[in-house]
Amino acid sequence: MKLIIDGREVSAYPGETILEVCRRENIFIPTLCYHPAFKGQGVCRMCMVELEDENGNRRMVASCTYPVQEGLKIVTFSAKIDKVRKNIIRLLASRAKGSDYIQDLAGQYGVEPLDLPGLDNEKCILCRLCVNACKLMGSSVLAAVWRGIDKKISTPYEEAAEECIGCAACYEVCPTGAIEMKEENGQRIIWNKVFNLVLCQHCGKAYATEEQIALVERKTGISLPALCEACRSQNLAGRLKNFSG
Amino acid sequence: MGKILYVQPEKCTGCRTCELTCSFLHTGEFNPLRSRISVVSFEKEGFFYPAVCQQCSPAPCMMVCPTGAISRNASTGAMEVNHEICIRCKMCMIACPFGATFYDERANQIIKCDLCGGDPACVKMCRGEALSFSSLNPAVGSKKRAAAAKIKEVLEEVR
Repeated sequence: MKLIIDGREVSAYPGETILEVCRRENIFIPTLCYHPAFKGQGVCRMCMVELEDENGNRRMVASCTYPVQEGLKIVTFSAKIDKVRKNIIRLLASRAKGSDYIQDLAGQYGVEPLDLPGLDNEKCILCRLCVNACKLMGSSVLAAVWRGIDKKISTPYEEAAEECIGCAACYEVCPTGAIEMKEENGQRIIWNKVFNLVLCQHCGKAYATEEQIALVERKTGISLPALCEACRSQNLAGRLKNFSG
Repeated sequence: MGKILYVQPEKCTGCRTCELTCSFLHTGEFNPLRSRISVVSFEKEGFFYPAVCQQCSPAPCMMVCPTGAISRNASTGAMEVNHEICIRCKMCMIACPFGATFYDERANQIIKCDLCGGDPACVKMCRGEALSFSSLNPAVGSKKRAAAAKIKEVLEEVR
């Protein structure tokens, strides 16, 4: 099907969202809560674009969730869109005072954060990428808890969750560095849960949590010796050496 | 069946040219830490083994990937990583039986051999011919597999 984006005719497939088409066509739309591994969430509203009908009337939609239609006329940048994006950044920068990423973004957009009390070290912008990552990993431990100004991302009852495998995928996808993970003395601490790291039998490197290895074994049906990636190939090479020599 | 990257460790001289070639062509840097092939060396015995993705079938890395970022390229048979949708949970690294799935810290990416899109550069640069890229005849392939399975059985009995 055909769309018109910023006056340019572009082809798209049914079921795609406006954002996916724009990414493919190298048309820039800023996003915060979007990651190509997940579906568009429509949480941050940074990706707002304008749709124009036959009469020239425009309305705003979130491009990450809006499915394409035949003949859709899309405007990806206008004064109104710019104002909306700046407002979002200003509000997020007022909330996430502790996040360098968001503060840098506020500088780039040229907005001054509001002075809100009690949020000095906040980094989270509630984009829920971690929630999506956790769901995809099969744990579904993370969710938004509390409502209103108290809303935050946490585990059930903010306790160590049984299903959490300590994979740190949430830590990796977090755009603002809001998730804390500590690794020391052969332990990994994340989301209030302490994981024992498995040490490589050969070099002693802590390479994964017990729960991660159990999940890999369950998914592949293969049980590997407790060796880190580098020592695993060395172990294999050692066996080949004995075989050929 | 397509071509396979065939490794003969007894021919490897441990020169590590493959590592440099790989990292240069993929990243523009001569940096073994960013290479998709890694030579394991036993200097005393003079034995070297280039560890590289064996493009397993079925592939454990693909089985554990939660986002479907690892998939087989139908034309080359290589398991390729889609960096766009990878969330870097590193499950593939834990699952790889050969330790041939690497993590590039500088680019923050999971890297593994992609057979250079069907024309591996390391093979061309390998002076000792320890690496070769050869096609596998399907008729011979199945016989090879059967023979290998027998050897495996024997070895397991011995062990």
